[in-house]
Amino acid sequence: MSQQEQAANAVPAYPGLFTEAQDGVHLMSARCGDCGTHFFPKNHQQHRPGCSRGPVDEVLLHRKGKLASFTTLHYMPPKPFKTEKDITPFPMGMVEFPEGIQVVGIITDCSQDDLKMGMEMETVAYTLYRNEDGQRVQTWGFRPVK
Amino acid sequence: MRDVAIVGVGMHPWGKFEGKNFIDLGVDAVAKALADAGMKWEEIQTICSGIFIWGGNAGHLSGQYIASVFGETGVPIVNVYAACATGSSAMRTAYMSIASGQVDVALCLGVDMSPKGVLTAKSDNPQQDMDVLRWRMVGLSNPPYWALECKKRMEKYGTTERDLADVKVLLSKYGSQNPNARYKKLYTRDEVLGSVMVCDPLRLYEICATSDGAAALILCAADKAKEYASKPVKVAATTIGSSIYGDPTLRISALSAPAKAEAPLLSESYSASRQAYEMAGIGPEDVDVLELPDNSSWHYLQYLETCGFCGEGEAEKMLAKGETEIGGKVAVCPSGGFSSFGEAIGAQAIWQVAEVVTQLRGQCGPRQVKNARVGMAQTYGLMGNSGTTILEV
Repeated sequence: MSQQEQAANAVPAYPGLFTEAQDGVHLMSARCGDCGTHFFPKNHQQHRPGCSRGPVDEVLLHRKGKLASFTTLHYMPPKPFKTEKDITPFPMGMVEFPEGIQVVGIITDCSQDDLKMGMEMETVAYTLYRNEDGQRVQTWGFRPVK
Repeated sequence: MRDVAIVGVGMHPWGKFEGKNFIDLGVDAVAKALADAGMKWEEIQTICSGIFIWGGNAGHLSGQYIASVFGETGVPIVNVYAACATGSSAMRTAYMSIASGQVDVALCLGVDMSPKGVLTAKSDNPQQDMDVLRWRMVGLSNPPYWALECKKRMEKYGTTERDLADVKVLLSKYGSQNPNARYKKLYTRDEVLGSVMVCDPLRLYEICATSDGAAALILCAADKAKEYASKPVKVAATTIGSSIYGDPTLRISALSAPAKAEAPLLSESYSASRQAYEMAGIGPEDVDVLELPDNSSWHYLQYLETCGFCGEGEAEKMLAKGETEIGGKVAVCPSGGFSSFGEAIGAQAIWQVAEVVTQLRGQCGPRQVKNARVGMAQTYGLMGNSGTTILEV
């Protein structure tokens, strides 16, 4: 399957949070042109006091960042979290991006033993489940850079 | 502004009470507070009630539903919500009503009956309710937020799993002596370390449960307090804090945080406590009893620093040296804390104040802090809500 076909067969669990670019998956952020603050999600604006609040431009975060913290969840989160099967235990963590923002997400393609504070991580799409049309319903995730 | 005192406290025990509703619990707490003050219902001049979020329209008008049981009198009723700091908002509103001179007597109450299991989203509408995204996209319930901060603390200061367990051991000792506590079992370090891992590094016994409970306070103008109480407890300060730009805490509900700290961790609680110290002219060194929000063992350690009871990275030493025990430098959560009670969102801040009042009156039996003169209650609420109350006798 081509990359395009693969992408067509996947939908985000909620739009406007991550996107597939030429070089892979990026988180969709926004940056305030006045105070310089990056937001994620992009509509969760948290300006510096005194800022004129704009203009706010949509930007993609770097694909890669550093692991700022992590944990392993040993119980299945309640609804509305939905996966095809019980995925516990699974790691989640905070990744610090060069833009000066830390973002939390599920960690995939590794075990907790592989994780170390400060290690380089990259953003990926993570499949939660398949919908009635057979499409993969996805969120963002992180994995160690190999 | 005039001085305000607390002349009555009442609480429904904490636990799970299937078959009861929030009105039952609230009425019980209010009736006890009235009896404690020797006051008639008709003397209440305003009511500030914490919103009960799981109770639909009725819960959002908790004050009305509870007041009608005692008999409606037409007084102002204000229902407030500020997540786990809801009671702090109710308390401050009641305090301001009296301090401003508008009324002489105010009732402040909070009640909660938590849903079973882990708390979850309240809607499935991410466009309006941005809190939904953390659940749907990451499965982020509250404990992993605490685990992620705890892990950072361990990395930065060398906090050990034993430190986290020892918090529970100490709190279980006090909870076992508190008749209103939900959990009265004493735990050893090995038992805590042997409990199920919930989200690394936090184990089951190191995270508070969710409970049902209710608490009420009667506040009164200080110059009239002697009419109701032989030992009125003065409200030296009651404040609310909100977050400060640049706070690096991954706040519950949020999916991101600044990487570079330009404000203290838990800045909303830093703010609330510093406002209170200034208002009261009292500092952490003067506090004999501290009820802090021990949602997890991490909170217990972190809040000692956030509220200025020790320097950064020193909380573990305070704990190990016994400085946070009854008889130590400051008795921390001599009630047994959330660890022994569990969270009851709308009620817990008021319950904390009631516990401090009981200590300052000298009514705590085996867990009484000797000669307690100054007490402090500190809350922590989702998305940057916090309140501090300082009391003195």
